[in-house]
Amino acid sequence: MAVVKSSSSTSAGLYTRWFFVLPAVIFVLIMIVFPVLYTLYLSLHTWSGSAIRPPDFIGLGNYQTLLTNDPRFGDALIRTLQFTLAAVIVELLLGLAIALLIHGPFLGRGFVRTMILLPMVATPVAIAMAWLLMFEPTIGLFNGILRSLNLPPQLWLGSRDQAMGSLILVDVWQWTPMMALILLAGLTSLPEEPFEAARVDGANGWQRFLYLTLPLLLPTMITAVLLRSIDALKTFDIIYTMTRGGPGFSTETINIYGYVQSFEYFRLGSASSLLVVFFAIVLGISLLFVQIRKRWGTI
Amino acid sequence: MRKLRIFTLAVVLVFCMSGSFALIQAQDDNPLVAGVSDEFAGTEVRLIFANHPWNNAIQRLLPQFEEASGIILRVESYFEDQLSQRLQIGLTSGASQADAFMFRPLQEGKLFASNGWVMDLNGFVGGEEEWNWEDFQQAARDTVTAEDFVYGVPVVTEREMLYYRSDIFEENGIEPPETLEELEQIAAQLNNPDEEFYGVVIRGRRSPAVTQFSSFLYSFGGTWLTDDGQSALDTPEALAAYDYYGNLLRNYAPPGTVNMSWPEALAIFQQGQAAMWIDADVFYANVIDSTQSVVADTVGFAPFPAGPAGANQYNITSWALGMNAGSQNQDAAWEFIKWATSQPVVTELQTLGTPGARQSVWDSPEGLSGFPADYAEVVQIQSARGVGYDRPLVIRVGEARDIVGAPIVTGIEGGDVAAALAEAHSAFNAFLESDG
Amino acid sequence: MTDITGPDRVETSSPTLRTGTTPHSRSLRATSLRVLRYIIIALVVIIFAFPIAWMLLSSFKTQIDITTNDNLFVFTPTLQNYQNVFQQQNYLQYLFNSFLVAAVSTLFSLILGLPAAYGIARFRAHWLGLVLLTARIIPGITFLVPWYIIFGQLRLLGSYWALILSHMLVGLPFIAWVMIPFFESLPQELEESARIDGASTFGAFIRIALPLAVPGIATASIMSFIFSWNNFMFSLVLAGDDTRTLPIAIFNFLSYSSVDWGGLMAAAVVITLPVLIITLFVQRYIVAGLTAGATKG
Repeated sequence: MAVVKSSSSTSAGLYTRWFFVLPAVIFVLIMIVFPVLYTLYLSLHTWSGSAIRPPDFIGLGNYQTLLTNDPRFGDALIRTLQFTLAAVIVELLLGLAIALLIHGPFLGRGFVRTMILLPMVATPVAIAMAWLLMFEPTIGLFNGILRSLNLPPQLWLGSRDQAMGSLILVDVWQWTPMMALILLAGLTSLPEEPFEAARVDGANGWQRFLYLTLPLLLPTMITAVLLRSIDALKTFDIIYTMTRGGPGFSTETINIYGYVQSFEYFRLGSASSLLVVFFAIVLGISLLFVQIRKRWGTI
Repeated sequence: MRKLRIFTLAVVLVFCMSGSFALIQAQDDNPLVAGVSDEFAGTEVRLIFANHPWNNAIQRLLPQFEEASGIILRVESYFEDQLSQRLQIGLTSGASQADAFMFRPLQEGKLFASNGWVMDLNGFVGGEEEWNWEDFQQAARDTVTAEDFVYGVPVVTEREMLYYRSDIFEENGIEPPETLEELEQIAAQLNNPDEEFYGVVIRGRRSPAVTQFSSFLYSFGGTWLTDDGQSALDTPEALAAYDYYGNLLRNYAPPGTVNMSWPEALAIFQQGQAAMWIDADVFYANVIDSTQSVVADTVGFAPFPAGPAGANQYNITSWALGMNAGSQNQDAAWEFIKWATSQPVVTELQTLGTPGARQSVWDSPEGLSGFPADYAEVVQIQSARGVGYDRPLVIRVGEARDIVGAPIVTGIEGGDVAAALAEAHSAFNAFLESDG
Repeated sequence: MTDITGPDRVETSSPTLRTGTTPHSRSLRATSLRVLRYIIIALVVIIFAFPIAWMLLSSFKTQIDITTNDNLFVFTPTLQNYQNVFQQQNYLQYLFNSFLVAAVSTLFSLILGLPAAYGIARFRAHWLGLVLLTARIIPGITFLVPWYIIFGQLRLLGSYWALILSHMLVGLPFIAWVMIPFFESLPQELEESARIDGASTFGAFIRIALPLAVPGIATASIMSFIFSWNNFMFSLVLAGDDTRTLPIAIFNFLSYSSVDWGGLMAAAVVITLPVLIITLFVQRYIVAGLTAGATKG
């Protein structure tokens, strides 16, 4: 028995291993590894996609310009971080509250879950349109409500000061449910015993939440925040369809700026350098979270 | 036998459905398709058009061309920004299936030509005597020609114009403004935000606003570029123009102007929520169409008001038809372009409301017959003057517009225009250095 | 909100409340808490469903009803917007494109992803898993420029292939994300006994592991389909005139003629409806998919 087992996982191993993963490896090489390398290559050149003029090698020039002489990049970077931070914090708090709210049995549980799933599965471009209509300063619903309450109407997406907040609101609406569902799954998988013990010891609900639920839920919370942060950093659809980075450049995030550089200005070289830096940032943040989770996430 | 009967029935049905037998019989005499050859019958020609009144108008005539030529037309329409992007993406990679397309010579012309994406039409336009290239206005031909390279045939000319509510002006006993100063006074007088009625509406979104702002800039005596190709944004004239535009829109335009391109601004005017709208004259058909516009019967037209340096509105060839350098159907595509820009078709399009580029059409009573008299008058005044470009003449126009458009937004929002302009000035100079 | 609902939730789910006999005053308090909880839940549901409901509602309004916002809820419904969408905009073609691309890219992602996930789980090819997960982290635009050039060279730009291959980049990492832990959690003994009975490793994979993994596969496929269906950025650059998917079509519609809000909302409904219908039926799988990997230690 033992002999058969070891032979099957060694002699058949190498061959079979490749058999299983080879198609995916080929795909990964062509569609993921090559593009990343090509982006690195392009980031050292200037090129407009012209068929007549090939890429022109300029060393680290693009990076230098980007980091020292492109205020749009710095601004976009700060905005990206602001957007992500604000959205994810609000989503975490609201998500936790909702998870606690719908944890445990109640009538219409399946229905409620389905309804809060809708924002995150609905096509982002479509819901962006719906929000666009609701934000519309003259005919939109929000100002209609404000006016009926005798409050001053707002500009929402039409103002430099409110546009980012409005986009964050949409993101919160869209992704709080995901946070809630992940945390709910975490809550469901918590062990019963510590809670029983705490009750016997006379801890009240608030104490149990603070000293048991929260610490036990921490690993799940860190993972949820990690997943959300990665996606929030890369938010594209709703920003591009609702403001395209405007008014002015007030909602231009790195991803939008990268797109504009690539496919509106066709500065493929400097766009590539921007994307490399962006990738490094996202990767760095991800690794940071993984470290945090390793250190504080396990109890 | 039975097959034949079904066939006959089908033929009869087709004829019934397509209107009347007589109409199809009369095809040969149809002046609109008089010179169209059926040499390319069966060829499929793919066209990419902008979402533009010219497109709406010619769509109605396309079946007649298809009928006469046997060419099958496949049309795709995009909003202008997207069109530009689509074309660049397609043309860069050589993957665009489009044979011919609408493009903005002032926006994409230089880029397309310098990257070898558009076909040089010199060989085509020269050989068509009856079609007559010389009939196109000199300025229009200049716009689409660079050192003998003809990269398109002009289809639409535009001038910036003032649309106003004649009923409201009459009620208040005011005449349309003749100067920018008067414009601001009237906007202030008629502005009534409590009733959701605004003095004026003009585009305020960063990049789209640039073209409409250009007439203000010129009329204040400013311009984009100095003679030696440097940024001209550091002049007091430019600052005055940016200041004026920002103040006007901040004080007397609807909220959210900074997010408006022409469709949004037009919609405000169509819904009767603004006393004045300033934009290209080609949009008048949308304004006087009572199915879209509640102000159809109460709109007046006036020339662009004069600033300190006179009334220097833009007067441009805004759209042209170009041919994909990689097209497999160049001759058939030319057949289409030739037809779409022929004298009878341009006349017809002009009666349908789209100002074209042919002098003979402008000179004929028929060419003006489709326009309201007051509109035609204004267009004729403005055709004779103005500046031939409405945006900086550079290669990467899109990027330049983002730069020079930024202070417009700052102005509308009530920020520090001088600082924003100084920033734009240096950014523009840096851009100009790399643009080449 | 946390401080209200936190204790509440712990108490409602506590066994003593549900089973034990409680004094009258306590049960009154519990009842009012329960009512409060239902009210808050209802509010949450309304808030999250509202924008979609508003989209649906507006799609039946005429332009006039939308622009005059005096009566937000009272209007005569019209189907005109839907008629316009399907007549003027060739939406059936885009609908077909979206279905084709989403279905085929999901299928291919499964064909590549399932054996790979199995291989990674069973033969510890973790580096591949790492690369696939990194693909989830890398901003999509990073891929777009090179793809755009490669597909251009291959004359595939604007083809279904370009879209399918690019959408696989969304599907494949997700399938790996869901399926690697899934295969890891399957007991290895069954496959081993099958192999002892003479089945090849591949045979064991097909006949033993795959059938056991059906719930995971369902989750992964549904999510991959939805992500592809919703994808905007890749299609924006790579789609051609005939291969445009719905999100691109609606984006174009945004600026068609003047702003036709009713038509826009109708188009938005047309895109969203298939996803919403899927969600109604397979809610459980989607929840599993979205929360996959998040709760493991």
